[in-house]
Amino acid sequence: MTLERLKPHLPWITLLALVLVVGIGDSNFLKPQNLIAMAADIVPLFIMALGMTFAIYIGGIDLSAQSVANMTTVIATVALPLFGPFTALLCIVAGLALGGVSGYVTTRLLVPSFISTLAIGGIAYSIGQYLSGQRALYMDAAMRDGYFGWMVGSSFGIPHELFIGAVLVIAAYFVQSRTVFGRSLKAVGAGEPAAVASGINVARIKIMAFAISGALAAIAGLLFSVKLSGGSPTIANGFLLPAIVAVLVGGTPLTGGVGGVINTLIGTLIVAVIRSSMLYFEVDATRQQMVFGLVLIIAIAMTIDRSKLRVVK
Amino acid sequence: MYELRQVDKKFPGVHALKSIDFKIGRGEIVGLVGENGAGKSTLMKVIYGAYQPDGGTITIDSVAVRFQNPRQAMQKGIGMVFQEQSLITNLTVMENIFLGYEQQFVKFGVVNWKAMAAAARAQLAKVKLDIDPNMITAKLSFAQRQLVELAKVLTLEERVDGDLVILLDEPTSVLAKEEVELLFRLVRELTTRASFIFVSHRMDEVLELSDRIYVMKDGEVVDVVSAADANVDAIQHKMVGRDVDKQYYREQKQEPYDADRTLASFDAVSLGKKYRDISFDLRAGEVLCLVGTEGSGREAILRTVFGLETPDSGSVTLKGEEVRAFTARSGVEKGVGYVPRERKVEGLVGGMNVYENMTLSQMRRYSTAGVLRLGEERQLARDWIDKLSIKTPSEHKDCGGLSGGNQQKVVLAKWRSGGSDIILLDHPTRGLDIGAKEDVYDMVRAMSADGVGILLVADTLEEAIGLSHTIIVLKDGEVQHRFDCAPGAKPTLYDLVHYMI
Repeated sequence: MTLERLKPHLPWITLLALVLVVGIGDSNFLKPQNLIAMAADIVPLFIMALGMTFAIYIGGIDLSAQSVANMTTVIATVALPLFGPFTALLCIVAGLALGGVSGYVTTRLLVPSFISTLAIGGIAYSIGQYLSGQRALYMDAAMRDGYFGWMVGSSFGIPHELFIGAVLVIAAYFVQSRTVFGRSLKAVGAGEPAAVASGINVARIKIMAFAISGALAAIAGLLFSVKLSGGSPTIANGFLLPAIVAVLVGGTPLTGGVGGVINTLIGTLIVAVIRSSMLYFEVDATRQQMVFGLVLIIAIAMTIDRSKLRVVK
Repeated sequence: MYELRQVDKKFPGVHALKSIDFKIGRGEIVGLVGENGAGKSTLMKVIYGAYQPDGGTITIDSVAVRFQNPRQAMQKGIGMVFQEQSLITNLTVMENIFLGYEQQFVKFGVVNWKAMAAAARAQLAKVKLDIDPNMITAKLSFAQRQLVELAKVLTLEERVDGDLVILLDEPTSVLAKEEVELLFRLVRELTTRASFIFVSHRMDEVLELSDRIYVMKDGEVVDVVSAADANVDAIQHKMVGRDVDKQYYREQKQEPYDADRTLASFDAVSLGKKYRDISFDLRAGEVLCLVGTEGSGREAILRTVFGLETPDSGSVTLKGEEVRAFTARSGVEKGVGYVPRERKVEGLVGGMNVYENMTLSQMRRYSTAGVLRLGEERQLARDWIDKLSIKTPSEHKDCGGLSGGNQQKVVLAKWRSGGSDIILLDHPTRGLDIGAKEDVYDMVRAMSADGVGILLVADTLEEAIGLSHTIIVLKDGEVQHRFDCAPGAKPTLYDLVHYMI
């Protein structure tokens, strides 16, 4: 079997291999309780990566995801006493709007998405700092439990985060594989000129992809703030790199068009296993980003479709 | 001096050069003519080292040589003046002239700009161009840039011992008449320094400048004539000439079109430098072919009808309604289908399967509230796979993996299944083998019979004549002549070429 044929299967083979290696090294790792706890822990990152998938699937990237999540933790904490349950809606709308602006800047002003989303991320980060007064804020415990307690509870020994993640991935998979929008996303990612020449409104599709990415980053932020019962403009720092890693090791290349949300699910699990194995091998938390940086480079080098690149800058 | 013997070059599916013999003597100017796709550019690329031949030998002064890349060819004295100019416009003239060869002016890692400027001035003097070598290239006119390119190639004279061979690829295409004359005078003077190979579409220019002329067709040299006894007619016949089999183009199936039903019309439409003052009507059942050389405006007209280009003036009418918004989306909604030349880039999405590609332009018709009805899509694909006998294991096959002919059928099925009745065909048979070409011709006739109006840019002139009801000949963006092509009373190749060049 050649490498080309093997490529689509690499993500789950990698996952399986990692699980076995870590499982043999650490007998506690494979216990159901540990696996469930590990999975629940990774859900906010997974949601962010899920959004990122849409941006990368069309051949772009969303570097604002982490800042949008940061901002959302602050908005959620500040808005909770004022809006109650509608806080969730506010957060999602804020994420949609910022993502939409990124998309607008990318498609109408023709600014590449890595720079437009970086700029929008700067704006989001600053909004978070401004709203929070640069302090960590805390939620009123009673209100949090009343409105959003369901997000972090557990039923039958399974944490609710896992249900949230499952619902989102099923919805995203449905959008990707069964809707006109999902098909258009694929066409834009795999062959934009042909999509244009088939009368697809490519700019609108791209704007929607970035808006969804923003909205999912906001949902990730909301979940953070509920879990930690508070908000701060730096709470999600360190999540951007693992989120991108999750998408790419899952098998959605930076050039877009192949892969998708299921790949990101596998990719996120790989990230989760790498993380817990670092704990097991006692890699210091400050050094974890080094590992993710290296994994990112390897993943990009292996997945990127060089025939789509004219020049690498 | 420089000689090719039985040079062969093959690409997947194409035999681009068939046993070419070619030679050029010291100080000689050799012309090279042929239709698009005759193999001129491949031959040039072999000569200046961009391609390596699969067979045959290249000799310089009877010594065999082999070039891995253009730089090695340059070291043997072979330089190329590109048609699409190769100067980097934000560098100065002298930086361009010595691009890649700055080392001669470097001392202790620093470029001696004065020395470079002086050397550049000497080169510019060879082409009689009196400009400051420190100028930014973008500020030069096209004619000046052409001369700078020539000067750049002439730097070989100092670097190489031995003779120079300089290739000029369509050097006159962007020049005005006086500039062409200047260039020709210069080239003649420069024959004391170099030999030239001159490639052009314009037969009169080739005859005027060249000492000998190679005529190419289908990857072969079909004739070599000396300019003294050259005859334009004879060369043109050689260039285009095999006997055309009328059956091949399905002429017997050509039915008269419906003159009362106009599907698309142009009224005095102009677009920048691409075309000017174009008017025509496309009727139901008509095959209207736009004929002209590369850059004569054919493709731009097709892209305007589809909505990918917005004209500056004039009015475009589709099915009785004047077009206001020029977007592909509105074109598709009006029932226009575009089969582009770049099949794999614009025609279909590689990585998507047959049914996904077929419904790409009409997903709304196969969805409810944004959710696709996959079953119906697959059924549609199966129907059209049968109807056009597309060779694919199933409707789930990735279109990128189909053969060229079957890809073309998928593109046609995409538009026809959506009910498009204005079909734009840009080189629909490019790169297809003969059987697949005949399938395309059958489809053209079938569409005509269904009352579809077809705007065609054909791959060859024979194809244009064989398929069309009407031919419009374009040159430099303007209509030269209009031919009616009723079966049995079709214009000849020569009639067309006469207006094209």
